[in-house]
Amino acid sequence: MIKSIVYKEWIKTRWFLLILTAVGLLAVGNIFLKVQHAITFNEAHKYWYLVLFQNQQYFKGLKFVPLVIGLGIALVQYIPEITAKRIKLTFHLPINENRVLLMMLGYGIVVLLFCFALVFIIFTLFSQHFFGEEIVHAALVSVTPWFLAGFAAYFLTAMIVLEAIWKYRVFYFLASAAFILFFFEKGIAGAYAPLNWKLAVLTLLISLSLTFSAYRFRKGEM
Amino acid sequence: MNNVIECKNLTHYYGNKLVYENLNFNVREGSILGLLGKNGAGKTTTINILHGFLQPREGECLIYGENTQNLSPHTKSRIGFLIEGHVQYAFMDIHQIEKFYSGFYPNWNKEPYWELMSKLKVSPNQKISTMSCGQRSQVALGLILAQEPDLLILDDFSMGLDPGYRRLFIDYLRTYAKAENKTIFATSHIVQDMERLIDDVLVMDYNRVLAHSPIDKFMTGFKQFRFKTKIEIAGLKNEAFVVNLEKAKNEVELYTYESEDFVKDFLNKNGIQFENFSLVPMGLEDAFIGLTGKY
Repeated sequence: MIKSIVYKEWIKTRWFLLILTAVGLLAVGNIFLKVQHAITFNEAHKYWYLVLFQNQQYFKGLKFVPLVIGLGIALVQYIPEITAKRIKLTFHLPINENRVLLMMLGYGIVVLLFCFALVFIIFTLFSQHFFGEEIVHAALVSVTPWFLAGFAAYFLTAMIVLEAIWKYRVFYFLASAAFILFFFEKGIAGAYAPLNWKLAVLTLLISLSLTFSAYRFRKGEM
Repeated sequence: MNNVIECKNLTHYYGNKLVYENLNFNVREGSILGLLGKNGAGKTTTINILHGFLQPREGECLIYGENTQNLSPHTKSRIGFLIEGHVQYAFMDIHQIEKFYSGFYPNWNKEPYWELMSKLKVSPNQKISTMSCGQRSQVALGLILAQEPDLLILDDFSMGLDPGYRRLFIDYLRTYAKAENKTIFATSHIVQDMERLIDDVLVMDYNRVLAHSPIDKFMTGFKQFRFKTKIEIAGLKNEAFVVNLEKAKNEVELYTYESEDFVKDFLNKNGIQFENFSLVPMGLEDAFIGLTGKY
């Protein structure tokens, strides 16, 4: 059964997953092309000075990329389910309704982990190539909430899409937008260090929010 | 004979609007029941309750003894479900969707599916979303048959189908159901389709059940009489034996479960002069309209 669910989710998401992963990698490539350009034309020590003491965030091109990826995967995974109320077919499968949702959610988490891990690792490797350990560490601390925002966007978009009543969707969207802003507060590189684990816990807490929308659907709110 | 579906004292409202109150019906094992009703009479509400997608305000429906609000995976595996409009995972092609469903059902039998697919003129990698409504209906039906369910719930199965596909769908379904002793609960807007398919009929109107009986008994028991009279007969509608009465100029159509003699006696005793009295043969659609009225 898990194989079949993974198969269905894979058919829905495979091309978008490829495109969105490519977008992530291109964003990283773009960041380090700019870094290379700055180092070549401004001299490395001057650029390092800007990064270390003038809060020049070379990685800011990555800011909304995980958010877009999380949002995109959730949309391509869940919109086909609510189109023509196909979610009824999914709930009719001989498997507990919450279990089937958790399998779909699990698939989404795994592909996001894969995509984010790839982008994160490439970003780290390039950062280590151009910068010293202290700068790289601060950068990784700063980009972590953006990747967490990608997961949060995925969970919240799933909840919004599966909600059947537009009035509630708008309400969920506004609440979600306000929540997502927590992940994008301005600050110097590394400023998020004490907050990252709290944001991770918050992200984990909202991970099951789609089951609430699905429960409402099953009770006739459609 | 066991009941596969038992609905007891169903009451449901949308807001303050009553859909029905204390609705009771059963579906016998091995029978084909057709649920008929006008738009808004509660057909889709009933289907949604049967599938556990709607919690009734009061009462309950049981399928194989389990409350439909909490069907176990095993019971769900015994139910084939056709959604209104033959909705399926349209982003798949016919191979992908067969592979997907086969992972869920231990008794999966792909032969009837591929038999139906061989009749469709579709390319192997064609997405279901690009197929015609008729072709999609065959995909949906084939998947249900491959599942080998004991109970089939078909919501408006003839929607969007041309006459050829409707006939193909019905004939295939009835032959299959009778050969394999399957139980079917079906709704359709096209009432004459039901006549070829069903054993039992359940006719619903706003807030109530108008008829629930074997189709043969209903079709022989429910009658239409036509006669001419110049007398004002509006009061006749209130008589207990009159199910429905339509009058256009002097032509009267009277629908009743009573016999020809009974109706004639009544008219004579009440001084209603009439002529050209006749029993009009009816199909299921005529009977349905006679029972529910034209408006």
